[in-house]
Amino acid sequence: MSQVTGSMGSTKIEEKGVKKFTLTNTLILFIMLVVLMIFFSLTSRSFLTYLNISTMLANLSFIGVTASALTLVLITGGLDISIGGTIGLVSCLVAWLYQGGMNAGYAMLIGLAAGMMVGALNGVLVTAVGLNPIITTLGTMGITRGLAFVITDGRSILIFEKTLGLLGRGGIKLFQSGDTLITFPIPVVLLIIVYAVYWFLMEKTKFGRQIYAIGANTRASYLSGVRTKRTTFIAYLLSGSMAAIGGLILTSLTAVGMPQHGMGQELNVIAAVILGGTMLGGGRGKILGTLLGVLIISVLYNGLVMLNVYFYFVSIAQGAVLIAVVAAYEARKRRVA
Amino acid sequence: MIDSVETVKRSGWTRAIRLITQAKTSAPSLIIMYILMVIFFALMSKNYLTLTNFTSIMSNLTVLGIAAVGMTVVILSGGIDLSIGSMQGFTGVILALLFNIPFRLPIPIIIFIGMIVGSLIGAINGFFVTKVRINPVITTLGTMSIFRGLCYIFATKYVGRIFDPTYLAMNRLYIFNALPISFIYMLAFMGIMAIVLKFTKFGRNVYAVGGNLLAARLAGINTDRVRFMAYVISGLFSALSAVVLTGQLGMGRPEFGTGNELEVITAVVLGGISLAGGRGDFFGVLIAVLILGSIGNGMVLLNVPIYWRQVVKGFILIIAVSIDVIRYRRSRS
Repeated sequence: MSQVTGSMGSTKIEEKGVKKFTLTNTLILFIMLVVLMIFFSLTSRSFLTYLNISTMLANLSFIGVTASALTLVLITGGLDISIGGTIGLVSCLVAWLYQGGMNAGYAMLIGLAAGMMVGALNGVLVTAVGLNPIITTLGTMGITRGLAFVITDGRSILIFEKTLGLLGRGGIKLFQSGDTLITFPIPVVLLIIVYAVYWFLMEKTKFGRQIYAIGANTRASYLSGVRTKRTTFIAYLLSGSMAAIGGLILTSLTAVGMPQHGMGQELNVIAAVILGGTMLGGGRGKILGTLLGVLIISVLYNGLVMLNVYFYFVSIAQGAVLIAVVAAYEARKRRVA
Repeated sequence: MIDSVETVKRSGWTRAIRLITQAKTSAPSLIIMYILMVIFFALMSKNYLTLTNFTSIMSNLTVLGIAAVGMTVVILSGGIDLSIGSMQGFTGVILALLFNIPFRLPIPIIIFIGMIVGSLIGAINGFFVTKVRINPVITTLGTMSIFRGLCYIFATKYVGRIFDPTYLAMNRLYIFNALPISFIYMLAFMGIMAIVLKFTKFGRNVYAVGGNLLAARLAGINTDRVRFMAYVISGLFSALSAVVLTGQLGMGRPEFGTGNELEVITAVVLGGISLAGGRGDFFGVLIAVLILGSIGNGMVLLNVPIYWRQVVKGFILIIAVSIDVIRYRRSRS
């Protein structure tokens, strides 16, 4: 991370090169996704069916939603490991409040607020105190995960509720003929909305440009008038909030508030973001790349399971794909540079 | 990243030496923290300040402590190793496998093979970080996933129990019925690596590379080799901690070591090793390992619900690092 040596003189040329480079990266990811889809459709009969695809999309939506704001944090040069813990905390908090007799809508709002508080805590510690983001979020990961267990006393709380259930299991009816009912899952709608908003935010607004500027060179952007600490803080705040929404979707999907929810997911989400072309160290990355990264990881996972591959091999494949893709990025970067 | 612009201008060697001299700063506050904690637990629970209790604390923290030796070297060199837990699990499975195959090898050879396996995984990490130039977090995230998968593949056909009495005794023995032998191993490993880091060229290079990579390269250090070796050392000590783990528990299960990487990183960072690299020493790590072990034990004695342990550990990590950062900032200004 400390390898960035501010070469302020050549930013203009660099920016042009970067733009061209990431555009093609997104294309490569897209081609990779299509190839994977074709491969699994040919080898497994049950892959390209409505049931499988809609289930897969609903399942990946919570990872996708969480990954959206994490992309921003990574572009600023930070990292947020606490997302998995936040997912667990929000899940337990909502289920516990609902069990205690609270209206599900309010419980969800409080869950969202809790996620924002975790994000704000991360943001304050990273920007105002100046702690290393990995250590900070490692600490808050322990705190949030621990609190999730404390709230429910280590148990899982079943939560069958209409409003919350809609978020993960609901669907918009497309058409119905006899027994077959084709619906469009609501979590996927949510996923599309989230990515549309973040795409707009990153591509079309001043805030987005500032996020890129901070990641490329914090000092230079500070000297040119960007309020670096405030912008970085907002990135962590958004990351906490999106993890909270991811937690709500997961709770809804599984109909249970479980302290183990999201355990180890932080690594999956980070892997998806990195696969999407966002580099650790900051300054580079695209929101749409992250969406493709999430899709690739999910298709790979789903397809290998459909092919009856051992779960252990799936874990190996995910690790290998991550290293291979990043190695390819590095090779390309060196050629471009 | 902010100070990288300034540091390029400074000489690597003066900076490296300055950083080494500053490294001692976090140890006193840790010792005070440890003593306060011991006094607190001793006042709250009459079972805390007993020989039996300290014996159990010591034997419980050795796996963490030995793995922390390797992690310290990696973090000092400016990297990070998230694959430690998977390396422990994988080496443990291999060790158990070697005890269960029909053709029994002598124990030293089995341990040696375990060490080779760990070092090879470390070498894979080192290769991707230095030669392919992938960020250490991503590389070790990937190998973490790969070797955890391999753990399960290697473990499916064999039962992971280890019955060899000599091997078990090697890790379970108590000297004078009080001092666990595994704790001696840990102290010995820390001592050896502390000497290597302080008095050899390689040790100096680790600090220099971690302190300022560019300056170290310009000063003629083969930075890639130093960083590569750091990952190999991390793999080696993960394997050694797996030896103690399998010996203490009498088995090698594929899920062993899951999540250990975070505990090890917590210990190392609490011990004052800066994540930016080049700052800190083993004395702090030793105290940090003692603190983490005592917290877990003390909370059990105080009947604190087990779920609060993680919350408390998270807070301690953040508070310790905040103090370190604030003191570092003051010492610079």
